[in-house]
Amino acid sequence: MYSYIVRRLAFGALAVIGVSVVVFVVLRVLPGDPLVAIFGPEGYTKLSDAERARYMADLGLSDPLAVQYLHWVYDIARGNLGHSFFRAESVADMIARRGPLTAEIAFTSVVLSWLVGIPVAVISALRPNSWGDNVARFLSILFLAVPGFWVGMLIVLALLFMFGYRAPLASVSLFDDPWANLQIVIGPAIVLGLGQAAYIARMARSSLMEVIREDYIRTARAKGLNRRVVVSLHALPNALLPVVTLSGVLLGFVLAGSIPVERAFGTPGLGYAMAIAVSERDVFVMQNLVFLYAIVFVVLNIVVDLVSAWLDPRIRLA
Amino acid sequence: MTTATHDTALAQAHDMRAAEPSLLRRMTRGVRRFARRSWMSAFWGVIAAAIVVIAVAAPAIAPYDPLKSDFRAMTKPPSERHYFGSDQIGRDTLSRVIYGSRASLTVAVGAVVFGTTLGAMWGLACGYFGGRFDIISQRIIEFLQSFPDLILAMAIAMALGAGMGTVIVAIAITRISFGGRVIRAVVLSLKEMSYVEAARGLGASHLRIMAQHILPQCIAPYMILATAHLGVAIIIEASLGFLGVGIPPPTPTWGNMLADSLNAGLIPPWWLVLFPGAAITITVLAFNLLGDGIRDALDPRLRGAV
Repeated sequence: MYSYIVRRLAFGALAVIGVSVVVFVVLRVLPGDPLVAIFGPEGYTKLSDAERARYMADLGLSDPLAVQYLHWVYDIARGNLGHSFFRAESVADMIARRGPLTAEIAFTSVVLSWLVGIPVAVISALRPNSWGDNVARFLSILFLAVPGFWVGMLIVLALLFMFGYRAPLASVSLFDDPWANLQIVIGPAIVLGLGQAAYIARMARSSLMEVIREDYIRTARAKGLNRRVVVSLHALPNALLPVVTLSGVLLGFVLAGSIPVERAFGTPGLGYAMAIAVSERDVFVMQNLVFLYAIVFVVLNIVVDLVSAWLDPRIRLA
Repeated sequence: MTTATHDTALAQAHDMRAAEPSLLRRMTRGVRRFARRSWMSAFWGVIAAAIVVIAVAAPAIAPYDPLKSDFRAMTKPPSERHYFGSDQIGRDTLSRVIYGSRASLTVAVGAVVFGTTLGAMWGLACGYFGGRFDIISQRIIEFLQSFPDLILAMAIAMALGAGMGTVIVAIAITRISFGGRVIRAVVLSLKEMSYVEAARGLGASHLRIMAQHILPQCIAPYMILATAHLGVAIIIEASLGFLGVGIPPPTPTWGNMLADSLNAGLIPPWWLVLFPGAAITITVLAFNLLGDGIRDALDPRLRGAV
């Protein structure tokens, strides 16, 4: 197990380095000019050459690329994540203030996806091709096709029309006012959770259908254990292994999905901040936030691999 | 094998082909069989085809010019004049939804043709050659996979600046790693087949083995992957439009329309939200279900797997 952990962590470290290079190449080296991004195409043409050179030097953009890259990595290592062009708040403060809300949304949505997805999968798998199974399968196909942010917009509209209700727009911490906090979190969490539940139900259904055909399940039934015990204690734990892996991967996609969904709900989380940064073409904020999201994604994948290795000796010893 | 037997074999193959029914006949028969086996997929396949027709024939179908404002009909709910209502500067929503299908389909097809195909070819080379080339390629693909799709596409679209081309490139890049992974795995198992060894024994070049013996076996998994990616690409395109880094505004796209609706007043009018989103959902649903049907038809073992 220890050698597996060490190997996995080493690959993870390599991935973080690779990811930082990809982020740097995408946001700094690709042909788009950051000054055009900052000033807009019209503002850019109004600048004189001297002004352009001065801005480039101020922003550290006239150094060689390798120097710029090392400078950026050094800044991150010191915890200096820079400032937005358009707002006074530093990126580090922004993450500290808005990050917890997005993390809360992501976590709640995963819990919801399990609460909805697993029971649906069990019902589907135990009675394949029954009407319950068909409805569940159609719904999961439907939820894979619906863009989450659109569902979010519809929910906001429906609540406004029917109850004149709108979730609070100011950020509230879970500990200060749990009720207001819940009202902010629950909408995006439901939308993102249902999207994941669709994947989870599909995966758990096919995995459970495979497991209940195994010999040890038949043996358990044959020795007289009742069906409920066999399914919940013998079949489910094995069937859920691939679901754990999937859930970790989906959590990464939730972080991405929360960007348009938080925009739709007007949630004051990190995803909304990213939506603003991208629409304002705030290159430096984007660079650090994209890197942060990628690191979270890499770490999640490592955690998932370690958890599934811990649960399944076949992976650990291979 | 002497040249003479080779020639007769070729001639026989030719005769056999001539004896088979015409291409059109075979295709209609295939489609009919496909429809009988999975009517659900066939039904959604028809819808997908209808959406493609609508996109191609948009100028003939749309009742109004999608860019033209009518100042007598600003932010009007659905009526007999405007079936889907009109937006805050009096553009007809139905016409914009119809024209929006063009952007969505062009981007989706473009992203899949470039991204998934490039990834598949890369995966083919990786699986076939193996060794150091494969190891380095796998690391690069892993780095690309360390980003959630949407975030990578957003960053690339933002860096390159707005435009149809950049959106296609941004989404295509996120597709490469999937194509690479899947096709590589297929090739790894094909490479060990004895007919590939036989071809090598006969002195066939690498290029010839890859093109003549391995590539044809990769077409089924590629088709399955490509149809699945069409739906994903449409959703990413809509999200990029919604976030303001898609195809720039005057062009009607479903994502742009949803983003616009947020600016149409304190409370967005429901018809500006409902119709573009429904168009996205129906299109993605159609391609996904058609893809499921194609997967079941081409490779029943993969049922429920992708």
